[in-house]
Amino acid sequence: MTAYLLRRLALAIPTLFGITVVVFFLVHLAPGSPISGGVDSLRRPTGRAAEEMRRLYGLDRPLPERFATWISRAARFDLGESFVDHRPVSERIGEALPNTLLLNGLALVLALAIAIPLGVVAGGRPESAFDRTSGAALFALYSMPTFWAALLLQTLFSVRLRLLPLYGMESDVAGSGFAGVADRLAHLALPVTCLTYGTLAFVARLVRSGVAEAASSDFVLAARARGASRRRALWTHALPNALLPVLTLLGLVLPALLSGSVIVEKIFAWPGLGRLYFDSILARDYPMILGLSLLTAVATLAATLLADLATAAADPRVRDGAAP
Amino acid sequence: MRRAVAGVLLLAAIACRARQESPAPTQTLSRPTPQAIEPGLEFLDGTKDGAPEAGGTLYRRLAGEPTTLNAVLQSGVFEAQVLQYIQRNLFDYDAKLNRVPGLAESLEVSSDGREYVVTLKADAVWEDGKPVTSRDVLFTVEKIRDPKVPAPVFKSLFEDLDKAEVLDPRRVRFRFRQPYAFRAMAFVLPVLPEHRFAGQRFLSARDNRAPLSDGPYRLVKWKTQESLELERNPRYPWDKGNFDRILFRIVPDNATAVRLLTSGELDEDQLDASQKAKIEAMGPSAPCCRLVEFYNLDFNYIALNNRSPLFSDARVRRAMTMLLDRASLVRDLYRGSARIISGPWAPDSPAYDASVEPLPFNPEQAKKLLAEAGWGDTNGNGTLDRDGHEFEFDLVVSAGSDIGRQIDEMLSAELANVGVTARVRQMEWSAFVAKVDAGEFDAASLGWSSVDANPDPYFYWHSSQCPPNGQNNGCYRSAEADRLMEEARTTLDAQKRKETFHRLHRIFRDDAPAIFVVNPTQKYALTKSVRGVTTSPLGLYGIWPGPLGWWKKAS
Repeated sequence: MTAYLLRRLALAIPTLFGITVVVFFLVHLAPGSPISGGVDSLRRPTGRAAEEMRRLYGLDRPLPERFATWISRAARFDLGESFVDHRPVSERIGEALPNTLLLNGLALVLALAIAIPLGVVAGGRPESAFDRTSGAALFALYSMPTFWAALLLQTLFSVRLRLLPLYGMESDVAGSGFAGVADRLAHLALPVTCLTYGTLAFVARLVRSGVAEAASSDFVLAARARGASRRRALWTHALPNALLPVLTLLGLVLPALLSGSVIVEKIFAWPGLGRLYFDSILARDYPMILGLSLLTAVATLAATLLADLATAAADPRVRDGAAP
Repeated sequence: MRRAVAGVLLLAAIACRARQESPAPTQTLSRPTPQAIEPGLEFLDGTKDGAPEAGGTLYRRLAGEPTTLNAVLQSGVFEAQVLQYIQRNLFDYDAKLNRVPGLAESLEVSSDGREYVVTLKADAVWEDGKPVTSRDVLFTVEKIRDPKVPAPVFKSLFEDLDKAEVLDPRRVRFRFRQPYAFRAMAFVLPVLPEHRFAGQRFLSARDNRAPLSDGPYRLVKWKTQESLELERNPRYPWDKGNFDRILFRIVPDNATAVRLLTSGELDEDQLDASQKAKIEAMGPSAPCCRLVEFYNLDFNYIALNNRSPLFSDARVRRAMTMLLDRASLVRDLYRGSARIISGPWAPDSPAYDASVEPLPFNPEQAKKLLAEAGWGDTNGNGTLDRDGHEFEFDLVVSAGSDIGRQIDEMLSAELANVGVTARVRQMEWSAFVAKVDAGEFDAASLGWSSVDANPDPYFYWHSSQCPPNGQNNGCYRSAEADRLMEEARTTLDAQKRKETFHRLHRIFRDDAPAIFVVNPTQKYALTKSVRGVTTSPLGLYGIWPGPLGWWKKAS
């Protein structure tokens, strides 16, 4: 197990380096320039002013030199400062990160909490009425575009019923204690719903097929033969097996916790990483884009590693290298 | 406020109000006449709303977060909208585009037009009680001129500055290398408190997010990507703001903004066509707002690359203009809320000569012009050619501009009828701008937005400003136009300058360096209780007092 872990960690370093090289050159070679500013800019510098700005941001230096500077700083955990507001990249990420983690973390927990029981019940009786209706409903959910769902939810709950706030993280006067928490939750309700249903539908179907398959396998039959109840056979024998692919999937879902969702964050004016990433790309804010890409890359590698370790822990065949 | 942004695509624009009672016949060109201003396009004068009531909160929308509240470092509209409350300029322009005093009380010009003396008001004061001094003004200008400071909005205005010096605590003298007719506009200039920046790196100073106010309001709280809250600055010595508080909500999504307007959580928003349609669809019973629609100085045009062999001949460029059916465009695309233009200004600009008729839509005449320029279909493939080169090109437009794309498609269809192939290509904004600024395009859909009232065409059409030097993106070159542009910017007599501009206008029409399209209306929604709103050729915001004169009527 230790050897496995070391091998995986050693592999992660060149992978990370490879990702940063690709991202760095992609970002810098893409057309456009941080000098020209966004659509809302009042005046684009040209001529001498543009030249001064290029020098100020080091854009006049050769690309390999800029890369060397950036990577040597990044290795010392210095991500530089944003071209847009000249604040440290890490400070801007630090501001948005908790908001995105809160939103996406809640959405993920909620998705799993609903998807797993749903999958077990549906998979326990394949082709039953519940399995079919839930299957159709989940498929419909999965194909529903987020922006559309967001607008529907806003119209219903905020405009018509006036139950939930339209946008933002908290009210102008948020209150403290219980009232403050309630206000937060009310603001979370709609964006979390938007981010939940897609994952929920996907995971539920995954669990359902795993459970359905396991339910008809020998070890579950054996458990039933030993006198385990149907419920017990499904939840303690079939489900753990069905969760293996979910673990792998989580390795892919976790990094999305960080990268956030641009669409949901924009519609609900949520001050998260997704918006920051998107705005940085539009503004060609190279240090921000690189910082955020690095963060996502690290998260992806870490999550994949975690998922593999979890799978290895759960499945001896993987651990011992016996898996096909 | 400030001079223009060439090449800012007009993102707003299609007016969807179905007001079709005047179906202009296609052949007779609808001239940019005031008759185009329909009910709802009135010029609002907020001073006629009676005595302002003080109190309450104004909820304003920002579509994006200000990058800084350091007035020198500002680059975009979001910064400008907030800073207008916090930092006063030395001078401002009012709704009629007259210069009005701000922090300064007077501006004296030397007889050779090169020296300016600014005198600050005696009671101009910072939020911390220290007076606003000539040292602060000098500090600000030095920062603008510092090569290590990105000050995109102000840099070009002081490139010609020879020397600035403090005369006494209230007076600063500026000496410029050349006289310039529109120099006074450079003094629509905010001032930074020198004492607050001592010992700090300018670009990352604490004040950039917590500015010291010398305006009617002060910043209370800035929640990143959420909101900015302002309250009255108790030390501000002149007319107090009407509202107790101003709350800017950062709402990036247009549809969400409309919902916030209807639910009363926003008091105002500049609308694009789809937002306006949504509000109108609610009918007159819409609980929230009144629509305000009027003309400002914005216009859009299709830049033609005069350096390209396709468009180096003025006859070809004229033919291009004659192949764009602007009358139908105004009627069908803009639903009447746009005016055809014949030169690089909006009809309300003093430089615009209303007697210069736009070139008519006339495909037959255009065909003749193309033939005269040597373009014919010699190989019979349906596309015009000359010296073995086919007449085909890319017509690029920013992906955010629906109206630009629709105009391009209309033009492309007409061009196809005479054997010219124009492929409409949408590009992401930053990539698009990079191409346009480098002059690497054949034709590009652009807009000009009126950041200030400076009509000087020099920066956009003089041959010295061809890429990469300046913003004559299509590199139009005309010795006669160059001479007139140089003459106009050094003519200090306003009437004479106007005549020069009018001569230029005729040349622009006939040389057709670009296809000048239309001057579209600006659309805003305001809560019904908001009063004191004055429209101006610079919109609702970029003037004094502008939003500072607004107030809410208690119902």
